Amino acid sequence: MPAPAVWLYRACLRLYPAEFREEYGRELTLVLDDRLRDSSSALERLVSCLHAIAALPFAAAAEHGRVLARDLRYALRLVRREPAMTAAAVFVSALGIGTITLIFALANGLLLRPLPYPSADRLVAVDEYSPVDASEHGDIALANAMDVRARSRLLEDVGIYDTGDATLLAADGAEQVPAAVVTDGAMRALGVQPVLGRLFTSAETRPNGPRVAIISDDLFRRRFGGDPATIGKPLDTLNASYTIVGVMPASFHFPALAEAWFPLQSDPATTPRTDYFLSAVARMKPGVSVEQADAEMQALMHQIHAEHPPDNGWVGRVRPLRAVFSADYRAGIFALMAAAVLLLAIACGNVANLLLLRASVRRGEIAVRTALGASRRRLLRQLITEGLLLGAAGGALGILLAVVGTPAVVALVPIDLPRWLDFSIDARVLAFTIAVSLATSLAFAVLPALASIGSAMGDALKDAGRGAAPARGQRRLRNAVVIAELAVSMTLLAGASLASRSFLAVRLQPLGYDTASVLSMNIGRSVRRYPDGAASRALLDRIKDAVAALPGTQSVAFTSGVPLGDSHWGRLYTIEGRPRPLEQMTFVNHVVVTPDYFRTVGVPLRQGRAFIDADYGATTLVISRGFAERNFPAGDALGKRIRFGPPQNKEPWYTIVGIVDDARHDVLKGDDRDTLYLPYSDDLVPGAMLVRTAAKPELMVRSILSSVHAVDRDIAVSHVRTLEQLVDRNAWRDRLIAVLFVGFAAIAMLLAAAGLYAVLSYAISLQTHEIGVRMALGASAYGVRATVVRQATALALVGLGIGVPIAALLAWLWRGELYRISPADPVTFVVAPLAFLFVGAAAAYLPARRATRVNPIVALRHD
Amino acid sequence: MRQFILSRDTFHILVALADGERHGYSIMQEIGERTGGAVRLSPSTLYSAIKRLLEEGLIEELAERPDPAHDDERRRYYRLTKAGRRAAADEAKHLEKLLADARSAGLLPRRT
Repeated sequence: MPAPAVWLYRACLRLYPAEFREEYGRELTLVLDDRLRDSSSALERLVSCLHAIAALPFAAAAEHGRVLARDLRYALRLVRREPAMTAAAVFVSALGIGTITLIFALANGLLLRPLPYPSADRLVAVDEYSPVDASEHGDIALANAMDVRARSRLLEDVGIYDTGDATLLAADGAEQVPAAVVTDGAMRALGVQPVLGRLFTSAETRPNGPRVAIISDDLFRRRFGGDPATIGKPLDTLNASYTIVGVMPASFHFPALAEAWFPLQSDPATTPRTDYFLSAVARMKPGVSVEQADAEMQALMHQIHAEHPPDNGWVGRVRPLRAVFSADYRAGIFALMAAAVLLLAIACGNVANLLLLRASVRRGEIAVRTALGASRRRLLRQLITEGLLLGAAGGALGILLAVVGTPAVVALVPIDLPRWLDFSIDARVLAFTIAVSLATSLAFAVLPALASIGSAMGDALKDAGRGAAPARGQRRLRNAVVIAELAVSMTLLAGASLASRSFLAVRLQPLGYDTASVLSMNIGRSVRRYPDGAASRALLDRIKDAVAALPGTQSVAFTSGVPLGDSHWGRLYTIEGRPRPLEQMTFVNHVVVTPDYFRTVGVPLRQGRAFIDADYGATTLVISRGFAERNFPAGDALGKRIRFGPPQNKEPWYTIVGIVDDARHDVLKGDDRDTLYLPYSDDLVPGAMLVRTAAKPELMVRSILSSVHAVDRDIAVSHVRTLEQLVDRNAWRDRLIAVLFVGFAAIAMLLAAAGLYAVLSYAISLQTHEIGVRMALGASAYGVRATVVRQATALALVGLGIGVPIAALLAWLWRGELYRISPADPVTFVVAPLAFLFVGAAAAYLPARRATRVNPIVALRHD
Repeated sequence: MRQFILSRDTFHILVALADGERHGYSIMQEIGERTGGAVRLSPSTLYSAIKRLLEEGLIEELAERPDPAHDDERRRYYRLTKAGRRAAADEAKHLEKLLADARSAGLLPRRT
């Protein structure tokens, strides 16, 4: 007898649904025993066993399919019988699943999807960071990057790049497109080949190399009609004409937005190793880990710095490119994900309570089926199938919500997101949603299923006909679910309050200047026609006069960097008589302005004087108050001298002539660098214009543009934004998180209130008889209402008691993302509970009123 | 009248039961003998089919009793219902027709 095979056969019988196994298990075993007994040889017996075993899994699967089909048919009949209840359950679960799917789709696009380059997991960002100033990182000095490229043994290729704009000339006016300058290594490191033409050669990325360009597929189709003969044609920009040598594929986006790429032709020999404005991307050799590459980079950079004294002490670093690109979004996405999980939990609680309610209504039916011989397991399976059906419907609708909602949420983002971002619903999002739907359906189905079977078995049959009070256990379960919902919604409410308060703290903080009524724009001039010096000064003067002459203009100024704009220029500095070693030097915002800058932006002068026309080309300096107080606490800043750049550069000394208020220039959140203002000069020609207007600045855009173009129609005006819009663009992440959080909290409160309402209403409907007796015995309406309110208050207070500590804990975990708001923010932890109690009271009001309308006679006749 | 679509296995079971009641293993033996061993049902296929035939009312179950030819174990016996006999006959006629068609189409040698 082949005992192991028989044993395996018997084990395989477990694959059948329990019902089938109970019915035919014995027979199935008997038949095989018979056959084995009738077999004449050991081989024949073995064959018989294997034959029996092989067919079993398929037969078992088919039986499961039949049971499922029957349960589904039954569940669909229930749906038809209780359409309102079903619709409510599907809608609520769809809300929960849809929200979490939406957030996951965002997380997927921002954090998870691989970057659209071949073997993207081998791509890394290479940069240097200051060991003394945490905010100085992300860039790499050109010469250092070139040395790294030549020496690294773990990196396959290193590309160096910088982003900017290119002004393309055309018959119908200039067009500004995002562009990038890259070394030949960049596209090679990314591993993408052009669809037409070729990549840059290393000869093209040397100083004074040929003027060549590679364009994006989009630009290729838009401006050249997709003509293959475009290779070799000129790409005319404001500053030069370039020969197009390549067209990249439509799927290629790098860095974020660029549509045209030009070779980086700076000379590493003449750029100081302290100039940080370039980024580097590299591809690690196969099998190399980020940790290994990082260790190599630290050592290499240390060596490179040591060879080129003075050493600024900056540290080389390698990080995964994906992580660097998504670093800004990580914390926000995690907060939103946590909020979505909480919301889903509330949705589950609501559906579970609906099903519990239905289960208590169906106790009679279940008791009858049990009495007719349906096994407990069979009933449980039926109830879970019903839950899964609801969950599947909720999941499907949820995906639909996410498909519709994702573009709507992305539309709230006021900046151009990187082109490679893709928020579409892919297989990963679908798998996530299916898993979530399954988990939630089980969560909201199993509890009621167990509860209803448990109670049904015991006592339901005897009072199945009457609407008697449900088992105490079930009522307790329902109350527990509502309390959990209330606690979670309290947590979300606190989160929404913190997110909003943090956003408001960002948005409403004093910036040091007046953002209302100021328009900013970049002014792109042809450096061939207006080289630095007298020609460009004359151009700026003419533009200024033209714009100032417009009715509604109050003042006009030019600057090298608009406050909180895209262009940032940080420089090292030395105060005369206080030399510091290079590695201890810090950066300041280095802003080149025309005399009317302070008046136009609205930065008040505190001491000394602002710039005048005579400062053109002078080595005078206006400093911010913070800088003055930190460096000249005795108040003797005026007349002192400051020099920019690393000491060995021996740049000219600038004399401080004025002190203005601190004004946020570089970053909206966190510590800003101090700001030093220089007058414009032959060498320092500002590229942005600021206009203070009497009326709404948006209304003047058209007239300003036409007066600039009246001076020269080939001036490219771009990035036209009010200072207000610039603040919004800087605060968008905080705003988006606050908006979504408030939305989540509102939905959560609504669901929790609905849950509370349903439980109270149901409790009152069961107490109709009791209330009737009490009122007949002379209880006042007030007394009855008080009973209901007491129930509601008790539930809400317990919810509050659980929710507040959880909210406090989560707030503490989230404290790093809160801006100038304590995680124990008193407003949040006083207002949110009050709002919470108010909503709870509102939810209790209707059931309480209904309770007092009970007519004692009707209620008593009810039995 | 309801038409049953009979699978090959189901049809074999009905034919095996045509001449009297049998228990599961006896059905398997009968099919094996009739087809000269060409059709060999596995126990799971047999009982899935039996369950369906019971549900559709084509066969019915008799009280358990031991098979004198075997051991003392009690076995369930099955027999055809009227509907089952009719369904099997219909299927047989259908197959006969199909066979005749195949002959006239030259797929099989004509009977002399």
